[in-house]
Amino acid sequence: MADETHSSELAKRIGPQLGADRMRNPTALEANAARVIFEPASVDEICEVVRMCETDRITLAPIGAARTLSQIRRSPVAVGISLKRLSRIVAYEPDDMTVVAEAGLTVSDFNAIAAASRQRLPVDPPNPQVTTLGSLIGASHAGPLRLSEGTARDLLIGIRFVGHGGRVIHGGGRVVKNVAGYDLMKVMGGAFGTLGIITEATFKVRPIPPQYRLAILPYERAADAFGAASALNFALPMSHVEILSPSLGARLDAPNKFLLMTGFSGTSLEIGYQAEKIRELLGDAGEILDVQPSRERYEMLRDFDWTAMPLAAQIATRPAGLERALNACGVEFRAHAGSGVAQMFVGTTPTTSDARKIVARWREIAHAERGHLRVLAAADVVRNDLEMFDQPNEGALRLMRRLKSTFDPASIFNPACFVAGI
Amino acid sequence: MNSLDPPLLDELRAILGIEAIVSRATELKVYECDGWTVEKSSPDILLMPRSTAELSAVMAALDRRAIAYVPRGAGTGLSGGCLPLNAPAMICTSKMNRIVEIDYDNRRVEVESGVVNLHVTNAVKARGYFYAPDPSSQVACTIGGNIAENSGGPHTLKYGVTTNHVLGLEVVLPDGEIVELGGPTEERCGYDLVGAVVGAEGTTGIVTRATLRLMREPENHRTLLASFPDVDSATRAVSLIIASGILPGALEMMDQLITRAVEDAFHVGLPADAGAVLIIELDGLEAGLTASADAVATMAQSCGASAVKLARDEAERALLWKARKRAFGAVGRLAPNYATQDGVVPRTCLPQILRVISEVSRRYDLRIGNVFHAGDGNLHPIILYDERVPGQVRRAIDAGRDILKACIEMGGSLTGEHGIGVEKIGEMPLLFSPDDLRVMTELRHVFDPKGRSNPGKVIPEPGACVEVAAPRRQVPI
Ligand SMILES: Cc1cc2nc3c(=O)[nH]c(=O)nc-3n(C[C@H](O)[C@H](O)[C@H](O)COP(=O)(O)OP(=O)(O)OC[C@H]3O[C@@H](n4cnc5c(N)ncnc54)[C@H](O)[C@@H]3O)c2cc1C
Repeated sequence: MADETHSSELAKRIGPQLGADRMRNPTALEANAARVIFEPASVDEICEVVRMCETDRITLAPIGAARTLSQIRRSPVAVGISLKRLSRIVAYEPDDMTVVAEAGLTVSDFNAIAAASRQRLPVDPPNPQVTTLGSLIGASHAGPLRLSEGTARDLLIGIRFVGHGGRVIHGGGRVVKNVAGYDLMKVMGGAFGTLGIITEATFKVRPIPPQYRLAILPYERAADAFGAASALNFALPMSHVEILSPSLGARLDAPNKFLLMTGFSGTSLEIGYQAEKIRELLGDAGEILDVQPSRERYEMLRDFDWTAMPLAAQIATRPAGLERALNACGVEFRAHAGSGVAQMFVGTTPTTSDARKIVARWREIAHAERGHLRVLAAADVVRNDLEMFDQPNEGALRLMRRLKSTFDPASIFNPACFVAGI
Repeated sequence: MNSLDPPLLDELRAILGIEAIVSRATELKVYECDGWTVEKSSPDILLMPRSTAELSAVMAALDRRAIAYVPRGAGTGLSGGCLPLNAPAMICTSKMNRIVEIDYDNRRVEVESGVVNLHVTNAVKARGYFYAPDPSSQVACTIGGNIAENSGGPHTLKYGVTTNHVLGLEVVLPDGEIVELGGPTEERCGYDLVGAVVGAEGTTGIVTRATLRLMREPENHRTLLASFPDVDSATRAVSLIIASGILPGALEMMDQLITRAVEDAFHVGLPADAGAVLIIELDGLEAGLTASADAVATMAQSCGASAVKLARDEAERALLWKARKRAFGAVGRLAPNYATQDGVVPRTCLPQILRVISEVSRRYDLRIGNVFHAGDGNLHPIILYDERVPGQVRRAIDAGRDILKACIEMGGSLTGEHGIGVEKIGEMPLLFSPDDLRVMTELRHVFDPKGRSNPGKVIPEPGACVEVAAPRRQVPI
């Protein structure tokens, strides 16, 4: 295949120009995503490689932990660009509650530093210790806290990326409120590396609440768990309201039932009040964990690895339609109740034709709730037959195609793996 | 004067009926500017469609004749976004003002873009919900205008700006095509085109409908009014509060000039002798509010506050907010004209920038008042002038520019919520490189390849000298 020769040729050229240590072979996981891995030591090096690739029509893609990219690519790109060496904090001003950091920094590494100022970037993708800021933005990773804190989309206030022609482009700025110019943060967010390589991001950060506690309540029926979730959501500003189906609950050493796992935070007074209110609303069936177990269980809840599942997807519907949709799909799930988003999966590898049928049925159910469904992971044997992304409507899709061809005229940035083959 | 030929007029009349078209010069004068009154230029025709279908037909008709247009909501914009520049037609959404659906179960509301901001909250507050972005102009400005400017307000410190609350849009593209972007879900399918349209200042087509997020009212509030001897001590208090980890719902500052003007106009009991006041609103669970309010009061006092008053009831709270939100109007009594600037600095630079502003005031011999979103570092210096005095308009404009430049030098931005429009187009290169601007232009062309939607706004066009259809008048400088 042409790309294969391309990558080895590029590797040969980059060695002398930028230093031999810049290129390495992919790991087993990365091999699905890219043929060689380029680890630039500066943004200039990325610009140079983008220009080379553009001239020779060599495909490339930003690669973080490779969890997402290895799932969405049918065939690897020639060059994966890892931002491992671009992982510095450029400016962190606790009093301004903003941070500028290179895109290779992981969420956990930043949060470890911010903790000293009792602050955090309040996003909780699965395994934040391997989630780089670049992939957080590019692949729209989020977790339970989205209910109270929003997602990276809400926190991102500035961006820098290498676009076509090897140009460094920036949008937004360093201040928390800013409407100068077009919102390039939104354009790059959730674009899965198809429009350029994000090199730097500026985020708003938030104070860490003084205390956090987790309540776990078991239910026989999904409907009761969702009913309880919406009662809570109505009554209190919960940090998160998650529902796990029985087999996932069992993985957390909890009863084999539908589990409502809801977090709340605040000062001791607020914690006391909320705990009481939760008992009042939902009775004494569940338990409210102490500080340390709360944290441990929350991390387990956050870190489910969907990419290890034989077939997993994320559904988004209107919040009140989520239970109906999950019920119709008849699968195991973790639901962000209140946000209308859930990850769902089947536990055994389906045949290729079954996988297609399953995904088609899930999508139909999602569409009936005015939502959509993205396949998060599929076993190697079935993946290539699946459309990972759902299809937007015709009008929106036309604009998206125009956006792609405008931002990536040579079609080298992670091509042919996003919506409708973009 | 008219670039609109009779066949086009006939077509527009057939689509809209004569009652939805304004073409008499005297009537069009009302539309010659928005809140940026320094430049004026009337459209040749004003079109007021009642539905998406009418609006789309109008745009298709204009497109067939290569006629550009300006979208307009309520015309409260402060950066000249509604000023017709080489765009003979103005399309106003004021007749598209229905709240289409309130969906409490999903905390969504679907509205036409001409709906007035405050009407959304008014429609849902009995059930304990609100629409969070609350510009001070919310009694008049439209959701479409808010979307175009990505508007904020006092409560955006905690709750975010417009873009954080818009989930789906119906947009009519400049050729008349109707597209649905986003939808009622929190996750998007494909590129975030909603995010690209919000804040695009009407250059990506006309928004006709929006699906907005509703928020639950917090359990309770505590609204504090703290008086300080000077702005320096007030800004110290702002930093201290933020550093403590308390995130107020709103944190607003008014300096002496504004405080006095507001007090004279509304008699709300603001201390006329204070150098600056802070309005601090805490919201959340009742259980925590008393402790937070006490902590904030102690912090304010430790920074030199001479008095910290707690609004005793909802009526007092409403009065404080009325005073804050009408501050611009109150200033109108102090001088024949005023220009409201909008700049942003990192919060820690507030003391510095306020010193710059008073220097600028001295240098240009113009009074400048400050009323602003202190928690966000978003300044609104109000520059007072008299357009009848030769040279004052020029001085007011230059004073504003000097302040903006200082904001940028401190790592800030040209605008936090009022937009670039025509007012700040010349300053864009201070913030963005030619490459940045090129990519932004490319993005705009994705939606509007022929440059028909609100031309001459946001991005300076290098070398392209804007030909003005109707003469563009500047007030005498
Ligand atoms: C007293 C006063 C106080 C203010 N306070 C604030 C504040 O606190 N925060 C804040 O952010 N702003 C504030 N503003 C500015 C202004 O009110 C906002 O920018 C508001 O969003 C404009 O809404 P509008 O309906 O008046 O829009 P207009 O002024 O009519 O238009 C503004 C821009 O939006 C475009 N536009 C309008 N409707 C549409 C549509 N449907 N589709 C596409 N483009 C469209 C126009 O072309 C123009 O470029 C204030 C203004 C005044 C006069």
